[in-house]
Amino acid sequence: MGQKQQTKTPLPTTPSMADAELVRACRAGDVTAWRSLYDRYAPLVHRFASALGVPVEEREDAAQDIFIAVFRSLKHFRGEAQLSTWIYRIAARHAIRLGRRRRTRETMRLTMLNEKPTVLNDPSERSTQIATLDRMLDKLPPKKRTVLVLFEIEGLSAKEISDVVGCPENTVWSRLHHARSEMVKAARRMVP
Amino acid sequence: MKWLEEPQNEAERLLREGLDQAAKRTGDEITHRRVWAKVSEALEAPQPRFAFSGRLLFAGAATALLVAASVVAYPHVRRLSQGQVALPGAGAAGANGPAKVAVPIPTPLPDEVQPRLLEAERVPGHVVSTGKGERARVALGGGAEAELAENSAITWDDQHRPAVEKGSARLAVPHQPPGWRFSVTAGPYVVTVVGTKFEVNVASRTVGVEVTEGVVEVWRGSHSTRLVAGDSWHGPLHPEENQPAAAAPMEKPQPLPAASAKPVLPTSRGLQDAQAALQAGETNKAIEILSRTAQGHGPAAENAAYELGRITRYNLNRPRQAVALWDKYRIRFPAGLLRTETDLSIVETLSQMGEVRAALAEADAFLARHPTSERRQDVQRLAERLRAAETASESR
Repeated sequence: MGQKQQTKTPLPTTPSMADAELVRACRAGDVTAWRSLYDRYAPLVHRFASALGVPVEEREDAAQDIFIAVFRSLKHFRGEAQLSTWIYRIAARHAIRLGRRRRTRETMRLTMLNEKPTVLNDPSERSTQIATLDRMLDKLPPKKRTVLVLFEIEGLSAKEISDVVGCPENTVWSRLHHARSEMVKAARRMVP
Repeated sequence: MKWLEEPQNEAERLLREGLDQAAKRTGDEITHRRVWAKVSEALEAPQPRFAFSGRLLFAGAATALLVAASVVAYPHVRRLSQGQVALPGAGAAGANGPAKVAVPIPTPLPDEVQPRLLEAERVPGHVVSTGKGERARVALGGGAEAELAENSAITWDDQHRPAVEKGSARLAVPHQPPGWRFSVTAGPYVVTVVGTKFEVNVASRTVGVEVTEGVVEVWRGSHSTRLVAGDSWHGPLHPEENQPAAAAPMEKPQPLPAASAKPVLPTSRGLQDAQAALQAGETNKAIEILSRTAQGHGPAAENAAYELGRITRYNLNRPRQAVALWDKYRIRFPAGLLRTETDLSIVETLSQMGEVRAALAEADAFLARHPTSERRQDVQRLAERLRAAETASESR
């Protein structure tokens, strides 16, 4: 107290910056912080959107929309949950909305134009295991799929998942249990 | 312990492997850069604000428009389902493969009226064509569009690139993110651009390209001609017919003033291998591959030279060494495709290192060198912050 506070030159972000500092710098309009936040979370968003069934031709647009939503609503981020949890929440909502739209579009095409939906394969994802997994995941209802993906692929805890999807922890465990058994059954059907 | 870590059968093993691989599906660097370019652009645009009542009004107007559009479109969709006429964008590819469909342009438009932008189905073989007195604007994806003059046609080749079949097409291509090029074909030539406006003409015997803005490269086989704004170029539509059979292969089109031919690497295998090594966590192996690739020539070498700096900066966390590598890139490729990205990376890195004066000099140089860059505003803001920081440190 009474001591002259040392002023430090406000400089843009450093790579080791914690999420909270990064959010503060982003809110202050530091463009390099925006880029750092993007670089830190772009792989996560891409992986999560892929696992939630966003097709390859829509993935870039989905990632773009998710990040724009993240940056624009960053001012509402209260820091009660982890930044990643908050981003997962935005991404999950967006992916589910996209899935709903896609299903409606496909139904419209089928009923009005009698046209089969086209499926594009990502050349970078030619792995048989991934393709099989995607087919199995496609059969899960969105809520169970989100929980399974967050737990098994993203490695979140049940508590974190309950924050992302907005349901009690017990419900998370129950959805996970059902999703796992449905996946095992689907895998058994796929193996000759 | 992970679920199914010790699989009991083939089904469980398949599932576990699928989950493990899905965890590695993090997207490639170029995709991330492309998305960032779009995100940063969108963030700079003013954000639309609606009050609650405004939202209701907007929803009401949208519903009314939707109903009106359905009423107008219903007869067309009905005819389409009966296999009579195909609308652009309504899916020309049927069970028998891509159909060649002419898009009807209802009435000739006066010159001053901009034709409606057609969202054509961009599949191989689909054709958008105009007749006498007709014009059309066709969306080519990624914000690019072509304006077809009368008696012109554009289609899509097997690689899903737009191809001007006949007549004249004026193309406007937004600036492409680093490492990403837009291509359009005309006869045996491929015209590649980073972001520009140009016109492609395909006549009965010749192909012509006229550049209004930016830089364009016309490729045939492994030879290219580089054109800048104001340049025009013409080449034979069927070069093989114009050459004597015994003559040496003349792949380069009609030479132009200031045009230069440069070799092209058919694949960038090195970059793919480096990417795979990075994804596997083998940073040193990636650097080794990139160093080898960077010693070569052409776009792959250029990309590798830039990537070396990026990996050193972000994976090895050696900012000073990264700046030195990017400096090397600038010396070797002073007008390279990744020059903007390189200059920007240097500005960012120096400012993160706390090298205020050097970062400020680089930022000013960036603003002078790239007056039309999409990142100009970002750099301007950063320069202001750096200037303020410099003044503050001097006054202490």
